[in-house]
Amino acid sequence: MSAAARARSLLTPKTVGWTVVVALAAAFPYLGASRFALHLGMLVFIWAVVASYWNLLNGYAGILSLGNLGFFAMGAYLSAVMAIELDISPFITTVLAGIVAAVIVTVLLGLPVLRLRGIYIALLTLVFADALPSIISLTRQWTGGGVGLLGIPTFLPGLERWQGYYFALLFCVMAHVVLARIIHGRTGLAFVALRDSEDFAVAIGVDRFREGVKVFAISSFFTAMAGAVFAHTLGQLSPGMLAIDQFVMVISMWLLGGAGTLAGPVVGAALVTVGNEYLRVYGSLRLGVLGAAILLVVLFFPGGIVQLAGTVTAWFRRDSGGSASLQPPVTTGGPTAARGGDAAARART
Amino acid sequence: MATVVSGLTLGSLYAAMAVGLTIVYGVSHVFNFAHGHVAVLGAYVAWLVLGTGLGFGAGIVAGSAAAVAVMVVFGWGLYRLAIRRLLTRDGWQFATLLFTLGLAILMQYLLLQAFGPRVKSIPTFTDGSVLLWFGRVGIHQLIVLLLSVALIAAVGLFLQRTATGQAMRAVSLSVPGARIVGINVERIFAYTFAFAFAVTGLSGILLGSTVFMTPHIGWEWMIKGFIIITFGGLGRIQGAVVAAFFLGLVEAFVTLYAGSLWIWPAWLSLFVIALMVRPQGIMAGRAA
Amino acid sequence: MLEVTELRGGYGDLVVLHDLSLSVGKGEIVALLGPNGHGKSTLLKAISGVHPATGGSILLDGEQLRGLPAHEIVERGIAYISEERDLFTEMTVFENLVLGAYGPRGRPHLDRNLQRAYELFPRLADRRSQRCATLSGGEARMVAIARGLMSGAEVLLVDEPSIGLSPALKRTVYEAIRHINDDLGITVLLVEQELEYALDLAARVYVLKHGRVLFERSAAEIESTEVREAYF
Repeated sequence: MSAAARARSLLTPKTVGWTVVVALAAAFPYLGASRFALHLGMLVFIWAVVASYWNLLNGYAGILSLGNLGFFAMGAYLSAVMAIELDISPFITTVLAGIVAAVIVTVLLGLPVLRLRGIYIALLTLVFADALPSIISLTRQWTGGGVGLLGIPTFLPGLERWQGYYFALLFCVMAHVVLARIIHGRTGLAFVALRDSEDFAVAIGVDRFREGVKVFAISSFFTAMAGAVFAHTLGQLSPGMLAIDQFVMVISMWLLGGAGTLAGPVVGAALVTVGNEYLRVYGSLRLGVLGAAILLVVLFFPGGIVQLAGTVTAWFRRDSGGSASLQPPVTTGGPTAARGGDAAARART
Repeated sequence: MATVVSGLTLGSLYAAMAVGLTIVYGVSHVFNFAHGHVAVLGAYVAWLVLGTGLGFGAGIVAGSAAAVAVMVVFGWGLYRLAIRRLLTRDGWQFATLLFTLGLAILMQYLLLQAFGPRVKSIPTFTDGSVLLWFGRVGIHQLIVLLLSVALIAAVGLFLQRTATGQAMRAVSLSVPGARIVGINVERIFAYTFAFAFAVTGLSGILLGSTVFMTPHIGWEWMIKGFIIITFGGLGRIQGAVVAAFFLGLVEAFVTLYAGSLWIWPAWLSLFVIALMVRPQGIMAGRAA
Repeated sequence: MLEVTELRGGYGDLVVLHDLSLSVGKGEIVALLGPNGHGKSTLLKAISGVHPATGGSILLDGEQLRGLPAHEIVERGIAYISEERDLFTEMTVFENLVLGAYGPRGRPHLDRNLQRAYELFPRLADRRSQRCATLSGGEARMVAIARGLMSGAEVLLVDEPSIGLSPALKRTVYEAIRHINDDLGITVLLVEQELEYALDLAARVYVLKHGRVLFERSAAEIESTEVREAYF
């Protein structure tokens, strides 16, 4: 590719759009944002990474994991404990925690689970996340147990809010650049192939298991690092982060935003994180709203907000440009007559 | 020996609770994440009726009837309004999992609003106990054991002896085969949801009278139910019943010797072992 | 009796049936010949409603069947016996046969039809409480045919009834089909790959290619060379 062609390919509406968003986010602290707004922004960035990599597993690879919040908590605690007990720089522990968590998750969950049916993956990963609070209690001499862990070293001593904001933003941008490369690269294509025609994909040498392990490792690595960034920007942790509310929130980020799209989880993370703050006064109503929203989205708008927005703009513009960038909604493959025979037969063997 | 009895009672309760999950999965291949919440809802409906001052005897009968009625409408309606649409999609497995997950969350919220977070329970049938050859056993425990076993037996009879039950088994074995012999598969799916939800609601009442209920305990029941049917082989009823008794006994003995903190670790480690050894189900032999 | 006109159907974007028309008279045995993947099985699935057609019409005694769900079509008196057999493998032979009479059409005559099935295939009477998973290929084929008759059908659609069977078993199956036609007066539309069996049994033959009827002949007139040509 010539330099000119490369430059042209970088100047697509999509990359321009992303650049504008990142630039706006970077300018946000200078636009008179309050400390609280910066705090929220920081959370949006961190959760966007978690939601996007959850979506990599679910929306792209068709692996229904319910344990990503567990990966997150694992990374957060591993990194925090390493930083406290071993007195290592948080920058190093963040990466270390990501690696350790990815290895543990891939070996413990990925390898056994990916040989099983979808439903087992879903429930084993859920059980994994479910078991973590007990593990945190059992190791309370390091983790602080149910009380939580305070005084975690931050990235810089006495980290200011705006500094944390930029750390989170930087991490978020890096994570999404990598994600985009994965999705548009070999692994992403392999899953598109598997989704469209498993027979064809296998014929050209795609190995579902191998690709599955790969995305499992990548997803847990970045999710755990997001946890570590969370720990080292806020300076405190509690097992409350594994509560059902949080679980529902992150799931709805990618689901409402648009499963199987790059922008969906980011939009969802922003919406749910900010919306959650505004609904905080209503207490548990948040849970009900999100539960109902999940039902409605799955039933009526499987493509989420991003697809909805695409449809609406296409309606106004009456051209295909508006929806060209959209991915198909979540599919796990199988012919339309799936329930008739094929899927039933496959599921039963 | 008393531990064996409480283990058997727990096992029978778990079996009654898991049967509905495995029927729905066996017939429609939908895994219902809201299964535990369905059981809890049944218990709350009965609790409401019991609170109207009917007296215990009439109350428990009316409460059970009300729970069955609510569950039949709920199960049937859920299938007609939502699950049916989702099953025609390419990604139906994914969609139904996420949908029932959302349903569980919504139900938990609604139960919380309606009944509050406090622990509630269905009153015991009687506080008396009988002296058997090995020691004292609560009569309530024995009644629950009997009722659970009766419920499971009734489910078994329904599936074996009635035309609708046979059609459900037929659909679970082969959807094309069922179409060929003239079974209206859609309708059987709807019946299956209604029937399984009713059974699950009743099991929730029994559970509520022996353990307790809160709006969020549905998750625990659902996961226990899932572990049971994994042990028994997904969709296989007899396997699930055997597995439930086994796990009930394990729970009773773990509680006695190690304390209730170890119940979950015991369940989970057995689950992982089961998956490693035989993912198609430990008790998987003949189908239900 | 059965009138198929300009039937269209397929799987997703793949069109298999292109405006296919044929007819089957009452009491006839008609065989469908032609290479694999040219619409024979798809046609039977379309008539039975198991895999609905997308266009055209299917008339049974003047009544439109296209668009009806599979269970309604069974009620109208058409039984489909698939090549895969689709038995309920974990159930006994008896339970399979009883399920064959699931609908209101078959249920009142359950006992009579059960007896008829056992007379047709005496071996099934011996095996009645055996699980279908344990049956041999030939026995499984017999259960599939017998189960199809349990609904009290007037038209039987049979997809490759003898495929994979030994010559002796093939003969058993074909004698049973002849008996079903001769003595029970049931109309049969049959997919068959082996020419000699097809011609032995059927009065008329349709040769299908590319989802259309290539030609139609009475069994007496047909030349084996012209059929063979159709396969190339």
